[in-house]
Amino acid sequence: MDKILTVCPYCGCGCGLYLHVEEGRLVGVSPSRSHPVNRGSLCVKGWNAYEFVVHPDRLLKPMIREDSSGLRECSWDEALDYVAHRLAEIRDRSGPDSIGILSSAKCTNEENYLIMKFARAVIGTNNIDHCARLCHSSTVGGLAAAFGSGAMTNSISEIRDAKVLFVIGSNTTEQHPMIGMHMLDAVDRGAILIVADPRRPQIAEFAHIHLRHRPGTDVALLMGIMHVIVNEGLVDIDFVRRRTENFDAFEHVLRGFHPQAVESITGVSIEDIRRVARIYAMEKRSMLFYAMGITQHITGVDNVRACANLVMLTGHIGLPSSGINPLRGQNNVQGACDMGALPNVYSGYQTVTDPRARRKFERAWRRKLPTKPGLTVVEMTEAAYEGRLKALYITGENPLLSDPDLNHVKEAMKGLEFLVVQDIFPNETMEYADVVLPACSFAEKDGTFTNTERRVQLLTRAIEPIGDSRPDWEIIADLSGRMGYEMQYRGTYEIMEEIALLTPSYGGMLHHRLRERHGLQWPCPDVGHPGTPFLHRKKFAKGLGTFITVEFRPPAELPDEEYPFILTTGRIYFHYHTGTMCRRTAVLEREEPACYVEINPLDAERLHVRDKFPVKVSSRRGSIVVSARVTERTPEGVVFIPFHYSEAAANLLTNAALDPTVKIPEYKVCAVKVEPVMKEDRRTRPVKVVDLEDLRIT
Amino acid sequence: MRSEWVLPKGHLSYWLRQLRNRASLIAPLRVDGDIVFKSLENIHEVSLDNPALLPSPKEFLLPQQEGMFWTEGERIRPLLNKERRFIFGVRSCDVSALGLLDRFFLEGYGDPFYRERRRNTIFLSIVCNNPDPTCFCIGLGTGPYLEKGFDIQLTDLGDRYFVQAGNRQSQRLVRQWSFLFTTPRKVDYEDQYEVFLSSKARFQKRISLESVREYILAGKVRDSFWESVSERCFECGGCVYECPLCTCFTVTDRSYSFGTERVRLWDTCLFKGFTRMAGGVLPNEKRVLRTKRWYYHKLVHYPDVLGSFGCVGCGRCTVTCPGRIDMATIAIKLRDLQDNGR
Repeated sequence: MDKILTVCPYCGCGCGLYLHVEEGRLVGVSPSRSHPVNRGSLCVKGWNAYEFVVHPDRLLKPMIREDSSGLRECSWDEALDYVAHRLAEIRDRSGPDSIGILSSAKCTNEENYLIMKFARAVIGTNNIDHCARLCHSSTVGGLAAAFGSGAMTNSISEIRDAKVLFVIGSNTTEQHPMIGMHMLDAVDRGAILIVADPRRPQIAEFAHIHLRHRPGTDVALLMGIMHVIVNEGLVDIDFVRRRTENFDAFEHVLRGFHPQAVESITGVSIEDIRRVARIYAMEKRSMLFYAMGITQHITGVDNVRACANLVMLTGHIGLPSSGINPLRGQNNVQGACDMGALPNVYSGYQTVTDPRARRKFERAWRRKLPTKPGLTVVEMTEAAYEGRLKALYITGENPLLSDPDLNHVKEAMKGLEFLVVQDIFPNETMEYADVVLPACSFAEKDGTFTNTERRVQLLTRAIEPIGDSRPDWEIIADLSGRMGYEMQYRGTYEIMEEIALLTPSYGGMLHHRLRERHGLQWPCPDVGHPGTPFLHRKKFAKGLGTFITVEFRPPAELPDEEYPFILTTGRIYFHYHTGTMCRRTAVLEREEPACYVEINPLDAERLHVRDKFPVKVSSRRGSIVVSARVTERTPEGVVFIPFHYSEAAANLLTNAALDPTVKIPEYKVCAVKVEPVMKEDRRTRPVKVVDLEDLRIT
Repeated sequence: MRSEWVLPKGHLSYWLRQLRNRASLIAPLRVDGDIVFKSLENIHEVSLDNPALLPSPKEFLLPQQEGMFWTEGERIRPLLNKERRFIFGVRSCDVSALGLLDRFFLEGYGDPFYRERRRNTIFLSIVCNNPDPTCFCIGLGTGPYLEKGFDIQLTDLGDRYFVQAGNRQSQRLVRQWSFLFTTPRKVDYEDQYEVFLSSKARFQKRISLESVREYILAGKVRDSFWESVSERCFECGGCVYECPLCTCFTVTDRSYSFGTERVRLWDTCLFKGFTRMAGGVLPNEKRVLRTKRWYYHKLVHYPDVLGSFGCVGCGRCTVTCPGRIDMATIAIKLRDLQDNGR
């Protein structure tokens, strides 16, 4: 029995856990007591993180599509030669920009860096993106413009010392359970918890104030709060004067958000807006947290900007337990962004349009690099649909379940000339793949993951690769060699060395340093640097913080007579994203085996629907049949559907309306109708209530 | 046959090396900032001044995942783990838990998987000189040292260990290397007693589960109390997974192209699907029912059925519960309620 310290493959908390290995097999998981995030705890997904690794569905051999018989197994040589040949041919015929690459927030930093290098140096395109587009691109765009750095400003261990926690659009205890644990500890120690969420997540049970604003009205709510702060003289004037710019223009716009107007937009009472404003502004150790409830809107960037303005207005940033904290979803989504798996930046957010940065990478990689920013995830789908994009190389993603408006995505995938899917399990996207490459899971490879608090942690190989699968970085390096560009690395530590040389914030992130004390937090510019627990001390990453003016815009699709409900989508505690891992874990799948729609009791009564009744939920784009879950967690007029289930995919319904700046789709608001499936008489038949007294045997 | 010896500290590593030749030796080892139970490679990595290890040594008798049998076509091959193991450095509370696990798995229908592992495992426990802040075995009689029920118990007397063997199998482990051991003298008994006393004095938590049980049985604990407890439950299952006494498991099949394996996995009664019935009905859909059931099982049903609490005071749930609704915290809350006369 051996136990190997590694990092959990699920969410951005990045908990430290031990994998138990017996005779080369994974047999269990236990938490690390000394880890600063989880401190001896784990959530249910972490506790069961070993099981999917050996699931019978694992892809064991590369496969190539034969026209007649579907996918057939083949050797690595055959598969990679074929991929290299087809990609080169399409590049030469239609140009490098006819190829798109999707990297993965589930892959390590080293792998993301190589995939990014592969796209830019080997293929010659900036068409590289990953699922951060669908979750936190608003953060990367919004916070970078305001502060110069788009990441959590504080450390998770600082939460317990905070005095005020303002959580907006995050179901923390279920989606970032270990961060939720620290929040509860803070509340136990006397912190005030404010939750803003249209639904009533578990964290709201502990909230001193729960604001239930209408979905998609976050800008108005935040501006209303800031209006009160300015009006009542609660602004940290010193901070605004010394460390920020553009306040006057912002204040001018702010005047339009009188609490009275805000009340009518958001449905939150003036008193609550005032209370929140006073509590948040007057306490000095205030932390703001947000997640998908802020980012997944057509106003995602504006929402983030509003949050940034709020912390600058009150000076709640640049100190321990004081800052703005986007909670990142995937275990390495922070790292994938840091590594430049984005269409507009290289690693460390050095922009492709900056000639100096480009020249640096050109010299290091010895290739001419493209100058124009590339396509985003959703734009690639659009380009494929229109035939501008001919080939797509997907690593560890499943757009046919995770992207909005799936029927449209299907059409786009069909239109591709060449599709490569590299993953650990068969997924929905594979149906259209020409080549399937089996990759290794987190337990079979090493490298680093960067968690949501910017902590770069070492992943350790616990078992040998299952079947013929190979780590993603090896596949990419091999493929690159076959396309005439040698990538020779003896191990992931050599890739990290190259990253450190080219990426200022990762300058000191060498593997041997990360082994101690559960990793280092960036920025860590050199090998003597101890890492940075909180950002923007004394000055912002870009110098002065910028107030960016925002205006309220309603969601792209609002309910009307035909589609009277607002649909909001999200995750549930027992499952994770498109379910490739958790739905292959016995206990997790047993807990929540089927999709459902949460509906308020009052709405259910009007529709004559009871708990567990099947209902049909339809939008303008598609419809699914799911069982109803009648609960007060969801407010009147709003329904909630988890998006994990391919058999009832919530994203058949969602709207692919995009934020104009960063192109994040609006997963959180679209209009739907809900219809009962059962016949009228079965639904309305009264339930016979049996009195226990009648049953007593006399 | 004699069952008490003294082992000079310098002889311990030699003895452990000899034991390792007979069976796989598992011990608390220092790795990457933590101390965990794993197979011993380097004797010098053994760490005995550690807090309670996560998870409990239950993992060697009821592993997190255990193969039950393979089927290939018509043939069925049972998978019984017959590996011989010495587990060194477990605590008294964990050994006490074994007594109850044995009764659960072996009384009446004997669980063959458990029986086989149990038969082949010998536990070498250490008397706790320094209980953790989370420990409360002292109120339960399950530690910090044991009078009986152990295989081999070692007491650290500074420069030597007082060694006690609780059964014949264990006595043989000492007698085979008898030249390492000496006969205890009066001073050794006195020193051992002093260790017991000083250890008992170091406990920070003193909890009487008996008074909690009486309070519950008197009907004084309202459902609103359990509501407030269950609100904080993260449904991670950590308390059950860590607990040296919890025995929930589920069974699942994995079908490969070359056969099917049936495995059993740790599960917990705190999940609503654990008791899902045919047709999808969930008898304990509300979380409060499940949280309450866990406490009732440990504090009421265990004593009724097995004569002792379903808790040995190891404090692991205190470490692992993210919602801070572990046994000790709840017992202290209930005691406070009781003291305030509500």
